[in-house]
Amino acid sequence: MRIGMFFREALRSIRANAAISVAATVTALIAVFILGAFIPSFMYVRSAVDAQKAKVDVDVYISDTATVPQVNALREKLDGLRSDGTVAAVTYVSKEDALRIMKERLRDPSVLDELPSNPLPAKFNVQPTEAENANVIVAAVKDDPALDPTEGIVYPETTADRLLTAAKFVQWAGFVLIGILLLAAVLLIGNTIRLSIFARRREVEVMRLVGATNWFIRWPFMIEGVICGLVGAVVAVAMLWGIKVGVVDAWAAGADTALTKTGSAAGTIAFPLLTLVLVGAGALLGAVGSGITLRRFLKV
Amino acid sequence: MSDGQDTGRPEFTLVQVADPPSSEEEMAPMFSAPVTDGKRHKNDIFRPGPGPMVEFRGVTKTYDGNSRGLNGVSLRIGTGEFVFLVGPSGSGKSTFIRLIIRELRATSGEVIVGGRDLSTLRRGKVPYLRRAIGCVFQDFRLLPDRTAAENVAYALQVTGHSQKEVRRRVPEILSLVGLEGKFDRLPRELSGGEQQRVSIARALVNHPRLLIADEPTGNLDPETSLGIMDLLLRINRTGTTVLVATHDQHTVDRMQMRVIALDEGRVVRDEESAGYHDETGEVTA
Repeated sequence: MRIGMFFREALRSIRANAAISVAATVTALIAVFILGAFIPSFMYVRSAVDAQKAKVDVDVYISDTATVPQVNALREKLDGLRSDGTVAAVTYVSKEDALRIMKERLRDPSVLDELPSNPLPAKFNVQPTEAENANVIVAAVKDDPALDPTEGIVYPETTADRLLTAAKFVQWAGFVLIGILLLAAVLLIGNTIRLSIFARRREVEVMRLVGATNWFIRWPFMIEGVICGLVGAVVAVAMLWGIKVGVVDAWAAGADTALTKTGSAAGTIAFPLLTLVLVGAGALLGAVGSGITLRRFLKV
Repeated sequence: MSDGQDTGRPEFTLVQVADPPSSEEEMAPMFSAPVTDGKRHKNDIFRPGPGPMVEFRGVTKTYDGNSRGLNGVSLRIGTGEFVFLVGPSGSGKSTFIRLIIRELRATSGEVIVGGRDLSTLRRGKVPYLRRAIGCVFQDFRLLPDRTAAENVAYALQVTGHSQKEVRRRVPEILSLVGLEGKFDRLPRELSGGEQQRVSIARALVNHPRLLIADEPTGNLDPETSLGIMDLLLRINRTGTTVLVATHDQHTVDRMQMRVIALDEGRVVRDEESAGYHDETGEVTA
């Protein structure tokens, strides 16, 4: 419609109220920056927790004295769990495989050569479809005669439980925090724009007097809010980019191998997508902030 | 954004004026009410008809915790009249005016403007009512960071006129009110009288059928006041109904127009061709 005119009005008002415009922009910058630092952190933690959850597996150790039919019975039991969807995969690790894996892990494998015989039991490594299913697997096989009497069943019971609790907590805390952050940002921007409108209350009065409709008055203010929000968001994104390249990427590259492995397993939001989300959030914050604030000034 | 701007308003034939006109014949095409071609625009608030421009029927306005306002006022102001509204401070003059532009709503009674009962006018229509009424105030109420031309242009932009139309009409109307050569001055760079001329130009630019002036000369010296009143009179001669609330006894006495006197919210006198005071008071011709 008359977008051009509304734009000119918005720019005029930004120029005329430079101090308040800068304040609104900085407010948007801070809000978007916090949001922009929080979203990838939240997603990283959640994804790291998910990666750990995926790593929860159950080792079912087989007694050296177990007969072949007993071992087969145990395998059938586990395969049964796979067919009902509890278990994703069952891998048989023989005594020899176990010894080889241990050799690989040791810094000085020669110590194993001095053993008179292979002391390691064979096992089924059971991968549950979900971490929650570990308990079902344990319950199903814990009295099996083929179990190794000393090793039995090994699975990271407490780790799994804690991870599940942590995952739920991270998820809810994340949503609540993002909600609070957005609300705070809207209120802050609204407050700044209220200052601007308060400074120009007479002006709004005159506009109404000459018969300007509410939307005619509102558009320039909202465009003003969107411009401040956008500029703030773009600066915040630039700052986040600098931090990503200068700090996070450098830290990830120089970090210890174990950490890197966790890092690569845990994905986070791609930067271009994050940019899009943040710029959108900035514009929305500006528009909603000024829109809400204007309502009380536009009572006819 | 579908607030339906007045884009469908009929065009007017305007006379190109080089100098401020001295006679109402020259001003007529500029100031006269829009010519309707029989079809009313959907945002045209006023109902056509021979009825009065403003009618109050037993209007009472009380404020919370304050008795000031209006108390059972009934009167009619015909189309094309020039009326002075006089009375001491707090007599209800401002309430009267604010009821007409619906800044206030009557506590009881009916306020009818241009055939529309304002108590039934929807909130969304109030801006359109205000476009049909030109308003001039004691404190001018200009936008401080805009030039004279931009202030007048704003009123045109509000009603949805094209940039081309704005560029054509603003200089015309500013010249008509005698501000030739001062289009690009900010309000603070103009004298009080000049600022009031800008505000009159703004009030007129949309061809209102009713012009309301609340103490238009309250901040001006007598000579400047005379010029402003003269301008209002010339506007009235083109058919625009003019209502002036004032304290300015000298002007009222000099012009000998209809005078409505308010006191404590009541009409105490309503007289054609009168002065500021009634016959018992001091009257000068």
